[in-house]
Amino acid sequence: MLQKIKTGEVSERISILREKVLTTKPSICTERARFYTQAYSENEDQPVIIKRALALEKTLKGMTIFIDDGELIVGNQSSQHRAAPIFPEYAVDWLPEEMNELDKRPGDAFFLTDQHKEDLVDIAAWWKGKVLYDKGRALMSQELRDIQDASIIKATGNLTSGDAHIAVDFYKILATGLNGYLDEISHHHRKVKLFEQEGIRKDHFYKALTISIKSFQAFILRYQVLSIALSKTIKDPVRSEELITISNNCKVIAEQPPENFYQALQLVYFVQLILQIESNGHSVSLGRMDQYLYPFYKEDILKGKITNEFVAELLENTWIKLLSINKIRPWSHTRFSAGGPLYQNVTIGGQTVDGLDAVNELSFLILQSVGRMKLTQPNLSVRFHKNISDKFLNECIRIIEKGFGMPAFNNDEIVIPELIKLGVEKEDAYNYSAIGCIEIAVPGKWGYRCTGMSFLNMMRVLLASMYDGLDKYSGKTFHKGLGNFVDFNSYDDLFRAWQQQIKFYAQKTIEIDTVIDTAIEEYVPDILCSAFVDSCISRGKTIKEGGSKYDFVSGLQVGIANLGNSLAAIKKLVFEENKITKEQLIHAIESDFEGREDEKIRYMLLNFAPKYGNDDDYVDILLRDAYLEFIKELDNYHTTRYNRGPIGCKYYAGTSSISANVPNGSVVPATPDGRKAFTPVAEGSSPSSGTDVLGPTAVFKSVAKLPTDKIMGGVLLNQKLSPAAISSDSDKRKLISILRTFFTDLKGWHVQYNIVSRETLLAAKKDPENYRDLIVRVAGYCAFFTSLSPDTQDDIIARTEQTL
Amino acid sequence: MIFNIQRFSTHDGQGIRTMIFFKGCPLHCLWCCNPESQSFGYSLMYDRSLCKNFRDCLLPGGKGITSGTTGINIEPSEIQHPEKFRNVCASRALTVSGEEKSVDDILTEIEKDMPFYLESEGGITLSGGEPLSQGAELKTLLMEIKRRNINISIETSLHVPWGMIIRCLDFTDTFLVDLKHTDNGKFKSYTGGKADLVLTNIQKLALRHKNVIIRVPVIPDFNHSEQEMKKIIDFTVSLKTVREIHLLPFHTLGTLKYNMLGMEYTYKGKRKVDNCELTGYKEYAEQMGLIAKTGG
Repeated sequence: MLQKIKTGEVSERISILREKVLTTKPSICTERARFYTQAYSENEDQPVIIKRALALEKTLKGMTIFIDDGELIVGNQSSQHRAAPIFPEYAVDWLPEEMNELDKRPGDAFFLTDQHKEDLVDIAAWWKGKVLYDKGRALMSQELRDIQDASIIKATGNLTSGDAHIAVDFYKILATGLNGYLDEISHHHRKVKLFEQEGIRKDHFYKALTISIKSFQAFILRYQVLSIALSKTIKDPVRSEELITISNNCKVIAEQPPENFYQALQLVYFVQLILQIESNGHSVSLGRMDQYLYPFYKEDILKGKITNEFVAELLENTWIKLLSINKIRPWSHTRFSAGGPLYQNVTIGGQTVDGLDAVNELSFLILQSVGRMKLTQPNLSVRFHKNISDKFLNECIRIIEKGFGMPAFNNDEIVIPELIKLGVEKEDAYNYSAIGCIEIAVPGKWGYRCTGMSFLNMMRVLLASMYDGLDKYSGKTFHKGLGNFVDFNSYDDLFRAWQQQIKFYAQKTIEIDTVIDTAIEEYVPDILCSAFVDSCISRGKTIKEGGSKYDFVSGLQVGIANLGNSLAAIKKLVFEENKITKEQLIHAIESDFEGREDEKIRYMLLNFAPKYGNDDDYVDILLRDAYLEFIKELDNYHTTRYNRGPIGCKYYAGTSSISANVPNGSVVPATPDGRKAFTPVAEGSSPSSGTDVLGPTAVFKSVAKLPTDKIMGGVLLNQKLSPAAISSDSDKRKLISILRTFFTDLKGWHVQYNIVSRETLLAAKKDPENYRDLIVRVAGYCAFFTSLSPDTQDDIIARTEQTL
Repeated sequence: MIFNIQRFSTHDGQGIRTMIFFKGCPLHCLWCCNPESQSFGYSLMYDRSLCKNFRDCLLPGGKGITSGTTGINIEPSEIQHPEKFRNVCASRALTVSGEEKSVDDILTEIEKDMPFYLESEGGITLSGGEPLSQGAELKTLLMEIKRRNINISIETSLHVPWGMIIRCLDFTDTFLVDLKHTDNGKFKSYTGGKADLVLTNIQKLALRHKNVIIRVPVIPDFNHSEQEMKKIIDFTVSLKTVREIHLLPFHTLGTLKYNMLGMEYTYKGKRKVDNCELTGYKEYAEQMGLIAKTGG
């Protein structure tokens, strides 16, 4: 099963480079941590923003760099492939605590040397009490800490790592070059009024920007020097010539705008790399690559300077380089992001601002090269719109058929009009791209985290509303409720109790986000990232201070389908048909449906009540209305950037909850939808496993009934198909046809496909060695199946396999 | 009465279709894969493997159901009103097949996938059982579907009086007609029906409707021989107006249903027919100028 790329399909060099990264065991690299620790301790008197710029400078000038044999695109994140750098300033205590367990993790293991471990202990000692995690927790009220410790809301990942979830302005980077940024910075720096307090802060920001850009340039020039040195030692004249080209490329793009496609792609990769050395955040995305690179491609092709084969090879090399980048997360956070993804999204397709189909030759080359590489990175998204050609969709299905979960589809037909309604200018709205998994933002104009703030466990909230506000799992009452379920006289009583509890927890998610944003702004500002986002430089502000043009964020709500199914079962069986008494229901869920009577109640809940995903208005509308209570509450709040510059500063809903359905389910007792205690809840906006029995059209209809226009953080729908289901041309046409209906008529938001047979998954679980390159869609992203923990593997196996 | 509505059906006709399965059939083919479709009344189905011994099925009373140690024992012939067991068994081991649905009920279900039919040029397929054996509401239903501009296919054995067929002519876009055998004796012993009736009806229909497709279930011991298939194909060719023939290999997916209904299955344990065994028939049909397809 390993190395499923066909011989002859890619060049030998690509095949070797791919193999090398794929077979490298994940490890860590402590270089960055050591440089940051040194820079912080040498500059303790400096403002944090300067300290961070100097730390970045020290790292970029001092870290190990290398160029692999055969590489056309250069640049490494750490001293080895797949060795995750350490970002001690966010959180580091967990590393010495977990370091002896890292290679024993059931999923996402890391393999450390003794030297690594020694380094980690030293580094952690220096950072005691200085890290973002501690400072953020200290800013939180006891109540917020308790709610998180009770696992009703989870936001740990936002304090243990950076923000990211962003795409920067590659159009501008390619047009002005890095010197262009230095000019712009110095232009604004000169105008700073140092007699004002605000001016002093801006002065620091511009100084930090200058240091950061210059160290970025120095980093690129180190590759110029390295490649020229290598070219002199290498005997193969062809490779030597390649190294000279690489050296020239680096020389140009270190300062000037790129002169050709090859240089443009190299610069894009360097930016992508640097952002992931500066910050620990993930979902750093590449935006609409087929658009901003197209002018370079077209000119080079017209002039005969490059061939499509060479472009394909460069792209393939870039995808391998993206996979070489790695991130290590604490186990608590890893469970939410199973498979160790970096979610580096590339978006293709969509429309031009005139509403024309934006697909071009480069879109096809990107799609096909990703299809040949079959890696987890980049995360490839296609922007669907009603005039997209069948030819391109067909090519998409052909890649989907390869069974590694890509590309996913986002829908212009809902996203663009809704962005415009939110206040996004038309030109920007038409230029949106997917970020990370499925969420969306306008590259280079959006603040951080178009999604990925707090994770709210919806089922814990529903249970609290049935117990007078008591959270049975933790034994705490965070917000007194409207009574106990057994005293409710109607479904309306339950719904009112839900309203009351969900409003409370919605506010708590915002309170947690506000603390975290405040801490991140103060303690770990990102400088380079801010430089590449409009209008940070002209405003003299980092993104977190309100530098971006737009600012909309979302948290994630987990357990959507379970909420709908629970409400429907209660309304129908308890209040309408009196098949189950209130006492029976409570007894059944408290006993986890053990014992014959309680087990029977479970089967009644499962089989006698409608389920979300079957196009049944009864449950679909109950779910919509319940979710809307949460969404309406969000309208009362703003982000920390409100009135500080950006348009928006609002929250919206989101369901692209990555693999959080498994850990979220593991803290939820039995629920009224018949779900057993501590098993996974439903994933994203997809139906609960095995409950959608009417096929994909019914699923599409149900999903489209959600208030998708208000869930701009993403309406995630996973569908699993068996390979046989799309093997014939007629099956492919039918798949295209239902996609068109889902997107054009039903205004669906997103869909992605797992084309893997159940047998294959079961075999891979049993025999991981032979299935190391088997990739599945986990949620909004893909992961190597064998890197997942057994419970996540089981969850994926359990999701309904649709037949066409 | 219907026994199933299956949305997103992609292998019976063009585009994405919703299939309406009507209950009740004048034939009782020994190989039938939908035995619950044969009776015009309700059928009780019991899947012992799902039984959790909740014993709620004992409550409605009456003869035919007794409780044993490993599960429930059912004597289908003794049960007077199967419909009273609907939604009684929480584990769904015991279910009732068959539901009285009004034309409006069915239209509501049909309309749910309307945008998908439009995009894919799909529509509705009426199947069974024998859809043409249904009463007067069938015509109303067809008219209403047509009024919504939805494409209609009917899967039929044509083993019905001509009058039942003629009422549908104006509304049906495609007839998918089962032609099982041309010999009266064999037809009678394997299906309980009359081949002559079917053959005559096919001839009449072929004269009056331009879109008839012949479908042949290829069944071991019954018609799975060169000589018998040749006669079927030759008959199809003789119709002149029919251009397409589908050969559907016998499968045993219905076995479990016979157990659940407490019915004997003559074809139990018979080897399923593989698509590749049909190549010779397909080639012959093509030689004779027909468009031939294999597979269900």
